[in-house]
Amino acid sequence: MDLKQIKQIIDLMKRSELTEFAVEEEGFKLKIRRGHNGLPLITSSGGTVPPYPVVSEASVAAPPASAVAGAAAAPAGGGEKEEPGIVYIKAPMVGTFYRAPSPESPPYVELNAKVAENAVVCIIEAMKIMNEIQAEVKGTVLEILVENGQPVEYGQRLFKVKQG
Amino acid sequence: MIQKILIANRGEIALRIVRACRELGIKTLAVYSEADVQSLHVQLADEAICIGGPKSADSYLRAERIISAAEIADVDAIHPGYGFLSENAKFAEQCESCNIKFIGPKAQSIKIMGDKAVARETVRKAGVPTVPGSDGPVDSEAAAVKIARKIGYPIIIKAVSGGGGRGMRIAHNDVSFAKEYHIARSEAEKAFNDSSVYIEKYIQGPRHIEFQILADSHGKVMHLGERDCSVQRRHQKLIEESPSPFLTSDLRKRMGKAAIRAAESAEYESAGTIEFIVDAKGEFYFIEMNTRIQVEHPVTEEVTGLDLIKEQIRIAAGEKINFDQKDVEFRGHAIECRINAEDPTRNFTPSPGTIGLYYAPGGHGVRVDSHIYSGYTIPPYYDSLISKLIAHGDNRKMALERMYRALSEYLVRGIKTTIPLHKAILSDPVFIAGKATTAYLEEFLSRTPPDLF
Repeated sequence: MDLKQIKQIIDLMKRSELTEFAVEEEGFKLKIRRGHNGLPLITSSGGTVPPYPVVSEASVAAPPASAVAGAAAAPAGGGEKEEPGIVYIKAPMVGTFYRAPSPESPPYVELNAKVAENAVVCIIEAMKIMNEIQAEVKGTVLEILVENGQPVEYGQRLFKVKQG
Repeated sequence: MIQKILIANRGEIALRIVRACRELGIKTLAVYSEADVQSLHVQLADEAICIGGPKSADSYLRAERIISAAEIADVDAIHPGYGFLSENAKFAEQCESCNIKFIGPKAQSIKIMGDKAVARETVRKAGVPTVPGSDGPVDSEAAAVKIARKIGYPIIIKAVSGGGGRGMRIAHNDVSFAKEYHIARSEAEKAFNDSSVYIEKYIQGPRHIEFQILADSHGKVMHLGERDCSVQRRHQKLIEESPSPFLTSDLRKRMGKAAIRAAESAEYESAGTIEFIVDAKGEFYFIEMNTRIQVEHPVTEEVTGLDLIKEQIRIAAGEKINFDQKDVEFRGHAIECRINAEDPTRNFTPSPGTIGLYYAPGGHGVRVDSHIYSGYTIPPYYDSLISKLIAHGDNRKMALERMYRALSEYLVRGIKTTIPLHKAILSDPVFIAGKATTAYLEEFLSRTPPDLF
């Protein structure tokens, strides 16, 4: 895959609602995920990083000027319109997201589950401690926005909930 | 082998570290607050993880979130920059226990030098002169007054856990001592969560001259020359230069040796700085050691040709420093102006906001270390340093003229900056003559009409 193709993929992602893209070729792996603020998070591997800007060009979200324009147009919620009655349960810490307290247990919530404010909806593991995360909102889970075992950052949207 | 570094900082130093890592082929992970989404280093780093809300206490000071980010991104080392957690021994220990290399000295060295009273005692034992003062924290006002009278006024009351020029009060007699003592203790409690204070003889109008230390984990300790940082406003440095216009080569040799002894007494590794004050007669005294890379490190880089951030990373990777003290050469003269987003005509009120037209100076011998750009909005939550402008010349006169030329080209529209103040200082005969002491800036401001800026 060359730089031009990677740039095309980034463009495609920005213009669409695609949240994640991964490709694997011989000796090269590329994964691009939409960060919670709308900027793509890119990790790639395939040998050592050359000190020259080849890989880094692809991994830069956008040149600062256009990134500012993008942020000015879209609030920190990631560029999507805030729909009425919809709230997001966001990660209050940095760590790894798990849907259940252990691999053998059932997930805390499934799609369309009804949650109360103090319901535990997931675990975020940080530094070997499993932290139970409460919903802090009352409603119905419309979407689960992250995968089991995925690293999450502070403020990252985890669940889309219809209030009520 | 260090393959990925987490940068636990922001602004210009975070950008500086990204650049060094790029050149070394090391991947970078930027951790940032919600207020720093548009920060230049976050855009340039290979990966970025948001670690909290805008306030430093909610983000850059959240050690557990930083280490969590380090773990999920599988980093090998953390560079703490300056400020924030860079001199937090507990954070250094946490990194160690999580098998992440802290790019800096050992936690124990941070502890020794972080307690100002312990630091003084430790270096005194190594034969480094210290300012006459209490031999540790003072227990009571009565004990403090006794010591103050013994040393002789004026005296300065300093927070044991202070640093960076904060947590200091001066008293000129018994009467003001009582008042300043109590203010100092409550300020220390509020700022550092530790009300202990120690006292020192206050040396009037000294020069602040510090020595850059570089040490590896194989026992090699050297100094990379001095920086004269006497131009300060309320103990915050504004201008730094190397070499100091005041030092003779004999004094430089003696102070350099003392700096090395001081660093050795704390078993120091990585980059650090020994701060001295020097009186008009050339008597020098240890003040404190900064166990981190400093804001003004580029000044030393320009006169020695060394890249201090890369050296820190190499030392952290366990490498030996591949040169000796005798190989360190000093070429020409370098000066740095710290440019803040402040209005010098309105008592230095902070001036956050969005930068419009931005043009940075350039040309031979001009270096700009800055994270700002056209369209960038300076967040109001952090310090006001927006750019470091460094000029190098074959001699001091050339360096000053070049700095003035660079300041004149520097355009930052949309916010107020201290660029006009620096131009005025660079034109001032006292500064040009190399006669600035730490009393200089206040004296300069008192005789300079505000509309000169």
